[in-house]
Amino acid sequence: MTPPIMTMLVIALPIFASLLILLTPKRWPASQPTILMAATIASLFLSFSLFGKESMVSFPWLGGGLDFSFRLYQFSAFIVAAVAAFSFLIALYTLSFFRADNQSKLFAFYLLLSQGLAAGAVLANNLVVMLFFWEALLLTLFGFILLGGQYSFKTAIKAFTINGITDLCMMLGIVLTIFLAGTATMTKINLPLDTLGATAFIFLMIGAIAKAGSMPFHTWIPDAALDAPLPFMAFLPAALEKLLGIYLLTRISFDLFQLKPESWVSSLLMIVGAATLILAVLMALIQKNYKKLLSYHAISQVGYMILGLGTAVPAGMVGGLFHMINHAMYKSCLFLTGGSVEKQAGTTDLEKLGGLGWKMPVTFGCFLIAAASISGVPPFNGFFSKELVYDGALERGTIFYVIALLGSFFTAASFLKLGHAAYFGQAATQTRETKEAAWPMLLPMIIIAALCLLFGLWNALPLNNLIQPVFGQQLAGHNYAGLPHNLFLIVMTVIVIGLALLNHWFGVKRYGSGLKAADHIHYAPGLKQAYNLAEKKFFDPYELGLKAIRLFAIIAWGLDRLIDWLYSGLATSAARLLSLVIRKSHSGNYATYLWWVIVSLAGSMLYIFMVK
Amino acid sequence: MVGSFIFVPILLLMIVNVLSFSHKSKLHNILFGFGLLTALAQIALVLWPNKNFWQLTANYQFNVIKFNLAADNLTLVMLLAIGLVGLIALIVARGLINDVDQEYNFTNLWFIALTGMNGLVLATDIFSLYVFIEITAVASFILIALTKERDALEGAFKYVIFSSFATVLMLAAIALLVFFAGDTSFAAIANAIKANPGNSLILMGLILYLLSVFIKSGLIPFHGWLPDAYSAAPAITSIFIAGIVTKVVGIYPLIRFVQLTGTLADPLRNILLLVGGTSIVIAALSALGQTNFKRLLAYSSISQMGYIVLGLAAGSALGLAGAILHIFNHAVFKSLLFINAAAVEKQTGTLDIDKMGGLAEKMPYTGATSAIASLSTAGIPPLSGFWSKLLIIIALWNAQLYFYATVAVLASLLTLGYMLTLQRKVFFGQLENAFYETKEAGWQLVLPSLLLAGIILGLGLGFPWLINTWLIPIGKIL
Repeated sequence: MTPPIMTMLVIALPIFASLLILLTPKRWPASQPTILMAATIASLFLSFSLFGKESMVSFPWLGGGLDFSFRLYQFSAFIVAAVAAFSFLIALYTLSFFRADNQSKLFAFYLLLSQGLAAGAVLANNLVVMLFFWEALLLTLFGFILLGGQYSFKTAIKAFTINGITDLCMMLGIVLTIFLAGTATMTKINLPLDTLGATAFIFLMIGAIAKAGSMPFHTWIPDAALDAPLPFMAFLPAALEKLLGIYLLTRISFDLFQLKPESWVSSLLMIVGAATLILAVLMALIQKNYKKLLSYHAISQVGYMILGLGTAVPAGMVGGLFHMINHAMYKSCLFLTGGSVEKQAGTTDLEKLGGLGWKMPVTFGCFLIAAASISGVPPFNGFFSKELVYDGALERGTIFYVIALLGSFFTAASFLKLGHAAYFGQAATQTRETKEAAWPMLLPMIIIAALCLLFGLWNALPLNNLIQPVFGQQLAGHNYAGLPHNLFLIVMTVIVIGLALLNHWFGVKRYGSGLKAADHIHYAPGLKQAYNLAEKKFFDPYELGLKAIRLFAIIAWGLDRLIDWLYSGLATSAARLLSLVIRKSHSGNYATYLWWVIVSLAGSMLYIFMVK
Repeated sequence: MVGSFIFVPILLLMIVNVLSFSHKSKLHNILFGFGLLTALAQIALVLWPNKNFWQLTANYQFNVIKFNLAADNLTLVMLLAIGLVGLIALIVARGLINDVDQEYNFTNLWFIALTGMNGLVLATDIFSLYVFIEITAVASFILIALTKERDALEGAFKYVIFSSFATVLMLAAIALLVFFAGDTSFAAIANAIKANPGNSLILMGLILYLLSVFIKSGLIPFHGWLPDAYSAAPAITSIFIAGIVTKVVGIYPLIRFVQLTGTLADPLRNILLLVGGTSIVIAALSALGQTNFKRLLAYSSISQMGYIVLGLAAGSALGLAGAILHIFNHAVFKSLLFINAAAVEKQTGTLDIDKMGGLAEKMPYTGATSAIASLSTAGIPPLSGFWSKLLIIIALWNAQLYFYATVAVLASLLTLGYMLTLQRKVFFGQLENAFYETKEAGWQLVLPSLLLAGIILGLGLGFPWLINTWLIPIGKIL
């Protein structure tokens, strides 16, 4: 097969398979998982074999420069391969996760469809084609969340609305970009960030970072964590959307536009990143639910990526992108452990969990590795990418570095709390009989955990093959493989992790339980009130928007009533009154009527001769 | 020979009555048959005109005045409307009147009214016009009093009084106009008007003529006789009189008047506008509060006449075309509504719309056709009433009469208001227990209803064809 055919196949195969799954009859229950696994494995091999190849495919489409064109090169091949890999692992995981047949069938359908659409969005070499696939992903997002049960539609609508609005922004950005560049072909676009350029960039950026789940477009994710099926969380918000969002952010920052460290747009990106990472991690710290805690981390970690890319200096750029793939791995792994716990113990409420470490040793082991990665403990992968982000942040401003470091402290603290509450301590009565999960669920976790270790110990492998080639000349010859160069950063990181441990020990000592280890931060003066407001969704733009719309609706309703009254109340009563007056004046006496005639006659005569 | 439109009905009437060769019921059937043939022949002659036939005019020289007949496009439309409504009335009469004597009388009077109306629309001089108006009016007095009931007699009496008033005015107008023209023909009078611009006596003659015509067509405030006459008359008379007779007697002379005077002088035009606008609004408001089915329709008639007057006052070919189409449309939908009222009265014994309800369930044809007629009255597209109102409103707008154009548009809402009230109270809603056993009226009523409803729909849908082949040529006579 030639690369162009394979490029098309990598998009078409999952979409075709997803449609095939819809057609599988109920009588053959084995057909659906067979198709799912066959399709994911086939596309996994396909996308890995595309590695290192380059090709351009183009079909005539809408005309006027809008061709259905795709470009396979190092970066898109890397993202497509990562998407295929996660798709395969999640597919494996769902084999024993779902109970209801119908649920698993639809999940498989959405999974393969999302994979195909994501591949299309990544491979697209035309902004309009990319938008086409990007928007189509909204549908699978909606469908995925709806699978969660009868109350999930609210969250689904929330996710759909938020992403719909941000996609609209992106659409505006695309239109503006096409206007500025005079072409929609991505390889031909390279614009400076002047006033109009920056406007276009910010619109595109909103679409990209909203997809990645950055603040303030994140609020549907914690809701979905509770409502939507768990493999969805491990697949979409944890992996696929990060890959897509950060891919697009990288493309627009360093490919379509010329993001420079001295520009204000770069600072804006860093502020968004820093705010996201610190605020989300503070929310994560106080959560009492396994899945919800993880979902806030899924938001917080995006902050590191945006911060890293936003620095626009080589270390930060590499760090941001490296963090993207690392995060996709450890965060799906963490969600998968959450799924195992939910499936085996029947709950993810941390108050009811405890002592699972000995009952689910494999799950626990994977959790440990992934948690160490996310907390930035050496020598796991998260450590190396975070060091690079720190490096970039420090180069741009000490304040960003301090915030990033503070974020790391809270990250470590919240995972100490989570691990302690779930895997150590006393088991609650309901979860005493918990057993280890089935192997199709364990295998993906083990694979990902092993990769976390591999990408850490041998970070030259991803950095040299996947990350650094993306930026090429822009790195100016730097190579960040191997141990971090800056000893100061390492020392600081180790100190922060030590402080987190100390903090945890203090909390446990004071409150007597792992779950409450962060309560002294939760209830600290000032923070307590802020937390209360946040828990009431006071800072949620979506909920605020809903309130505004409700207010508007009430006003509009009042106006409508008023207008309705004017027509059906005032107008009809006036008409009825007039009608009554006229009827009363018709006495039935013809003499009266004749008088009307005579008076009118006289009046007409008078009028005519007066006018004349 | 256009004269046959007048002489054939009269001859047939005379043959049957003078010879009186048979028993009355048999005689009536023969007269009825003649009537049908006359009406059908009239319709056929208009729809498939033989050129030679129309080109002939009849000149009958009398001592003092010439008696000339001629047919133009306007006459054609009027003849068609007369033939159509006449035919319908004749058929419906079979279903509504049970007494043979009464039915025989009706058919006789029908012939006289037909003769009068045909002569009226064919006349080319003002005195013949007057004579035929009187012939028709006399026939209609008796038609209203047909049953000799108290109410009917009262209605007829009011009509006689008002009519005689109008006659006096008309004769005075003719005297003044002929004095200046030296001849009674329309052409001579038109020349005289042009030759003496600003002459007070001619103006006086014109306004007397105008007011006479206003009384005859029952426009507000000259309408005192109309609601009583329409609602007190027997069902069959209402259909005939309201559908066609008063329109031919009242509005047709008005159209000839507009044609006569050419472009209207401003004061006359203002009077037309004022009377038309007042009629539309006051009559519609009045209709809104009526509880008697036929009285409501009577007021609706006045309101629709107002539209025609406004169309004429616009003073353009478009306005004239709209007015003429509206006369025809009005003849169709108002006859249909009066047939519906007759059907309801016949089957339920009442005309009080407050007592009815849900009748569409029991009388589906009556319900459906009345809905079509009501919507056409209110000017809902694509029914025929929409187009004629649209033409009138556009003509008003083009003539820069924005106020009256707005009145015409807004009054459509009132029309819709009272028509929907009527529909809701009579045909929709909960079926009253009292009418549980009600049945559809006989074929004599249903068939004409369906025919008229079909015409409303057909005219509405076929309007684009109609406007080029019929209406624009009519407008050219201005």
